Amino acid sequence: MKSLFSRRSAVVTVVIAAALVLSGCSKSVNDSAGGASGDCGSYAIAMHAWGGYTASAQVVAEVAKKELGCTITQTTLDEGPTTYDAMEAGTIDVVIEDWGGGRWKEWTDRGAVVEAGLNGNVGLIGMYVAPWMAEKYPDITDSKNLNKYADLFKTADSAGKGAWFEGPAGYTTIGEKMVSANKLNFKVIFSGSEAALVDGFTKAEANKTAFIGYAWQPWTLFAKIPNMESGHVKFPANDWSDPAKASGLTDYPESPLVKLISKNLNDANDAFTSLVKNFKWTNDDQNGVAADIEGGMTPEAAAQKWIDAHADVVATWLGK
Amino acid sequence: MKVRKSYLLLGSVTIWILLARLLHGKNTLQLDTYENTAFTTFVGEKALELRGNRTGSPAFIYFFNPIRAVIDGFVQFIRNIIAVPAPNSVIPIIGWLGVVGIVAFVVFATSQWKTALLATSLLLACGALGMWQFTMDSIAMTLAAVLLSLAIGIPLGIWAGLSDRVLKILTPFLDLAQILPTLVYMAPIALVFMIGAASATIATMIYAIPISIRITSHAIRNLNQSPVEASESMGSTRKQTLTKVQIPMAKQMIVLGINQTVMAAVSFVVIAALIGAPGLGKPVISALIIRNVGQGFVAGFAVVFLAILLDRSTSAVAKKQASFVPATAKEIMRRRIIVGIAGAGAVISVFMSRTMLWAAVWPKEVTVAPQVERFTNNATNWILDNLYIFTVGFKDFISYSILNPLESLLSASPWYVTVAMIVALALIIGGGRTAILAFVLAMGIVLSGLWYEAMLTLTQTIVGTLLTMIVGMALGIWTGRSDRAERVLRPFLDAGQTLPAFVYLVPMLGLFGPTRFTAIATGIVYSIPIVVKIVCAGIRAVPHALVEAATAAGSTTRQIITKVQLPAAKKTILLATNQGLIYVLAVVVIGGFVGSGGLGYLVIVGNSKPELQGKGLIAGAAILLLGVIFDRIMQAGARRSS
Repeated sequence: MKSLFSRRSAVVTVVIAAALVLSGCSKSVNDSAGGASGDCGSYAIAMHAWGGYTASAQVVAEVAKKELGCTITQTTLDEGPTTYDAMEAGTIDVVIEDWGGGRWKEWTDRGAVVEAGLNGNVGLIGMYVAPWMAEKYPDITDSKNLNKYADLFKTADSAGKGAWFEGPAGYTTIGEKMVSANKLNFKVIFSGSEAALVDGFTKAEANKTAFIGYAWQPWTLFAKIPNMESGHVKFPANDWSDPAKASGLTDYPESPLVKLISKNLNDANDAFTSLVKNFKWTNDDQNGVAADIEGGMTPEAAAQKWIDAHADVVATWLGK
Repeated sequence: MKVRKSYLLLGSVTIWILLARLLHGKNTLQLDTYENTAFTTFVGEKALELRGNRTGSPAFIYFFNPIRAVIDGFVQFIRNIIAVPAPNSVIPIIGWLGVVGIVAFVVFATSQWKTALLATSLLLACGALGMWQFTMDSIAMTLAAVLLSLAIGIPLGIWAGLSDRVLKILTPFLDLAQILPTLVYMAPIALVFMIGAASATIATMIYAIPISIRITSHAIRNLNQSPVEASESMGSTRKQTLTKVQIPMAKQMIVLGINQTVMAAVSFVVIAALIGAPGLGKPVISALIIRNVGQGFVAGFAVVFLAILLDRSTSAVAKKQASFVPATAKEIMRRRIIVGIAGAGAVISVFMSRTMLWAAVWPKEVTVAPQVERFTNNATNWILDNLYIFTVGFKDFISYSILNPLESLLSASPWYVTVAMIVALALIIGGGRTAILAFVLAMGIVLSGLWYEAMLTLTQTIVGTLLTMIVGMALGIWTGRSDRAERVLRPFLDAGQTLPAFVYLVPMLGLFGPTRFTAIATGIVYSIPIVVKIVCAGIRAVPHALVEAATAAGSTTRQIITKVQLPAAKKTILLATNQGLIYVLAVVVIGGFVGSGGLGYLVIVGNSKPELQGKGLIAGAAILLLGVIFDRIMQAGARRSS
């Protein structure tokens, strides 16, 4: 039996070797398929978690693949340091949308990451109550009155206070500071993901239950819940010039969203570099593509649909 | 003795509750998430320095970076063969048909046609789920990690099998690796090796190597000693005895070790995507982010198929038994001819996958993914819409009745009270040495500045373990007493063990919302299979004579269970509780993604906010300390009860 076993492993080895040799010398499909490799190399785009990001990144990827013949890989990973590290390591070349007000400074100072301009989207962050509440309790959208309604927001997890649903881990969040500086009787719950917030807002609106949570634009939820904006709670404005010291009194500032590229891509200075640098579109553009994706289209199809309808915009990105 | 111990336990808990009431809210060491302590700031600065040095310092240039480059290159080499377009090419070296042909042939040649058929259909099913490339990426990652793990694990295992000293040195590390929650060591690894395939491979290896070391050394140690002695007495050198006697005799067991190493690597497929592993983890995690249950399940099924495929084809080799009837020359000849034909088929399929596009790239039209996705989404939506009231009711019930009181007991009382109580419990259950260890480790958490968050995590872990044990004991006793129950439950337990926790984190989020209970529920589902299996084995190991004697004495079934089987299986049940606790802890911290807060959230937020990176790293260490404290107490308890 033992000899049979080893003879069998010999057979296996021979067959695999034969297969490999064969695969090495046989005429490859490549020749017949005629790989669409233009003067553009092979690059990786970081894919961050939120729907809007997927829309922007997919549009850039499709244009790069179809118009420039680049080989594009899309790598799902966390925003922030993990991505900057990957850019430094050479495994990621593009971040198409970063909200993080300069948190990449350490990497740009080292020259590992390069800022590539604004992408045209403007980020607005704020705390929102479910819109039905704004209608029923008109004064709830003034932060001074929140405590009056804190009891409504109680859950099993909020330790007897109102539950305040904070944005995902990587996002710019100052909930704890806002709560303590405004002396709000709320407990910050780190809801962890976009999904949790979508779920929270839609269930609250459908079932008329109380909900206050973190929201941002551009975001497809604003298309799904029509009067979402009416639930925007206004806080006393504050100076945001130094994020480290910004006290809790502040509401979130408007942030123009930034593109980042790796040193490699910047140095390559090829067709893809200029596509990324030229890429610019509006919040409405992004929301449209993101809504298609959320509605069940594949990201590829949704991006292609937008590209087909906006040939003129794409042409400006390509410098035509 | 036994009575006194339970009185002592009861007494300490009473004192604890009284003190907690008296000193409620004092010295809780609570810290806002964005706040750093001097210590976490220091660690954060060190981490930043480390990142800055990655291109400059000798340690990186001559050590870490070459390791990363070599592993990256190795993974990329395997991916080029089966998964991603090879350099200067639009397809991998071997297309899908070729991969199917080779897998079918290898499995057929090493075991039998039934396993080969199963393997082929599972592979095709992954393709039909639209996951071909992700599956190939995962296979490539698994293959790379397993080969590297075995290259380190088997020699070390053999060495530890031969030398008591080596085993003694390795044992603490092996124990530690087994209780190390996966979320914990990803960040430090990524800090040194950066995000990417190399980090993911190394993380997988840390998980898999201890298993191969353990089983290999066990295999060498438990050999029948007489052939070994015979060989020695005939004047063989140690090397001859090892290579001609011990290793061949232990071969079957070592193959089982390979099987377990492969399974460990597969179970890492999803979580490794968090640090940049290519493969099936990506669609699972993106499904979590956009809460697409259907997509999560499609990718999750592919993970399970892959796990079954690898499990069956490797364990079939291990189980292959020599027949007592020697094969006739004719049978051997026939077998050889069939194997030869299969080999030719494999070669032809590779050739076709190189020359024809349909055999190279999985045809997009051949897919059931949209149907599966729609079906699961509809089913989940129905459950969410109709059962929401019940699930929320259950969640609230558990939260108000157990979770909140316990959380207030642990986190809202002064740290010194809780530390004293943990030490007292360690003393009563485990004895003096365990108590000292528990004190040192608990003080480590206090000094880290993350005591409050640690208590939140501890609360969730305890509640999760409690619920797990209620369900797990019931099912374990049932399957332990009835063969039929075991046959019915077995497939579910196996599937539950291979399905990555991330896959059901998505529907749990839908059922319970962003709450602590979502994390707890996920931890329960994850840990029940292992608890059931251990309890079942414990009940089955109770000597028949005992049970028969009790039956003859006229005991009822209930009496037999409570008076005979459970007491006799006490040690196993303690070990099951320990295993359950470690499993729950590992998953509860992942709950940071869905609103459970605690240490897990700090680890996650530390990965994405540079100013909190130090805090995240320390939070990881604190999770580990928690795990070790409870593992040591329970292990000591189990040792004493035997």
